[in-house]
Order: sequence, then C-alpha cells, then structure tokens
Amino acid sequence: MTTNVTTVSFAQGTAPVGDTAVFEIFIKTTPERLWEAITDPAMRAKYSFGVETRSDWTTGSSYHARVPGGIDIAQGENLVVEPPRLLVQSFTALWSDDVKAQGTTRVTWEIEPVGDSCRLTVVHDQLPEEANAELYGGWPMILSGLKTLLETGQLLTTPGSLMHAQG
Amino acid sequence: MVTYRRDVDEVFKALADPTRRELLDALFAQDGQTLTALEERVPMTRFGVMKHLKVLEEAGLVVSRKRGREKLHFLNPVPIRLIHDRWVSKYAEPWASALTELKTQLEDTP
Repeated sequence: MTTNVTTVSFAQGTAPVGDTAVFEIFIKTTPERLWEAITDPAMRAKYSFGVETRSDWTTGSSYHARVPGGIDIAQGENLVVEPPRLLVQSFTALWSDDVKAQGTTRVTWEIEPVGDSCRLTVVHDQLPEEANAELYGGWPMILSGLKTLLETGQLLTTPGSLMHAQG
Repeated sequence: MVTYRRDVDEVFKALADPTRRELLDALFAQDGQTLTALEERVPMTRFGVMKHLKVLEEAGLVVSRKRGREKLHFLNPVPIRLIHDRWVSKYAEPWASALTELKTQLEDTP
C-alpha cells in the first residue's frame, strides 16, 4: 500500500475532479416535495448546515445563501428554473477568501421520477483546475441529510452534521 | 432494467472487489473518464472493465454521463456517505477518526 491511498477520503466526498463533480441520490418522495425542499429556505437550512437560500426562483433571478445572523455562503443567478425537474444556477462561494478566489462555477439540480422515488442528480461543473475540494465536498453530507429529512422527517444526527447544526 | 432502489448490499458487494476499488481510485484521481481511458489504468480486458463498471453503476458508486459522443464515468461518493451516516458514525466515528489520523501520522513520518 502506498501512503497516498490512505489519504483517499470518499467519506468526505472530496474526490479531486476534472472540471465536473457528479452526485446522485435516490429519495423516496415526489418531484414536487423535493423541489420544495430545495427552494424553501427553512427546509433547505435543515440539511444544509443551517444555511438559508433565498430567491424568488424565476429564470434570471438571483439567489443568496447565508447563515442567518452569520456569514455569507454563496450567491449566483438562477439560469434555468423549470419546477419540479430542473434548476441550473451559477454559484459563487463566499464563505472564505480561498473559495472566493475560485470564481464562479455552476450547479445543476436534475430531478427525475423513478417508480415511487426520485433520482436527484447534482452536477457541480465549470470548476477551476485543481479546484478547492471545499467547493463541492459538502454535497454528499447535504444530500444524505436531504434524504433523511424527506424520508423520515428527521434531521441527521451524525457527529459530522451536528457539528454544523445551528444551536 | 435500471434498478432504482439501491440496496446497501449492492454497495458493500461492489466495494468487496479489489479491481472495482482500483477503478474507484482511478476516478478519484481523475474524475470523468471514458471506458478507453479506464482500460489503461487496470490490467484487464475491455470486457472485464465494462463488467466491473456495470456493478459499480448499479450500486450507484459510478454515474455515467454523455458529453458529446463520449460516455464519461464519474465517482459518486454519496452511497459511501450514506453508509457512513448509517453505520460508521453510529458506532465508530470519534474513535475511527482519531485512529485514522494516528495511522496517517505514523505512516507518513519518515
């Protein structure tokens, strides 16, 4: 075993990428409920480390994500809004100077009903070369929390997600 | 037929093979590869790589997407996160992370 194998961290979802990272999850819910969980600030905050994302969710509108009373997390434009199937957003991270320097990337949410469930695919692309893994490394934890919320109505209570929960 | 109810069994089965783990590591190093590119990473026939990729795709660990005429394969870390949230964090996270760090430190120290 070479030592670089031990630094591989699938659990944190920090795979180095080309210019695209893809995250897919199956959630037992309807496209409408899933769309609501993505676009409603209070629901979104429950599985996004307390971050509220606000927008009027029309094509060409802007959105702003922040921890209430705290720091700015991200902002961008809603490039395509087709409820409850497709949301394409430009994404500029704001939570640190490091991620700000990464510039504007793109996040695409695709919802496809499959049987009694939905396939949700989040594609984070237009990433800069040697992108900072912080930019996209949080998606697996966010999507896991989203699945738990929609399927059980509960919040994830793993140490990792509690660490970021709002007191 | 496409399976949509990913069973945790399929993820564990997919991970229980060294070649498939090697393919995941290859995608970890460089995400979004074609079958032809992946073939060069492992000592195996094209058919063998295809077979293993199919198992990984059915477990949700690999997601393929078309880009132009190419089919690119991406590592999807979400199923591993789900296993982590369901099993690892429950039983072992505080100890596991401390021990993993110790292992990394000891092995990286010349």
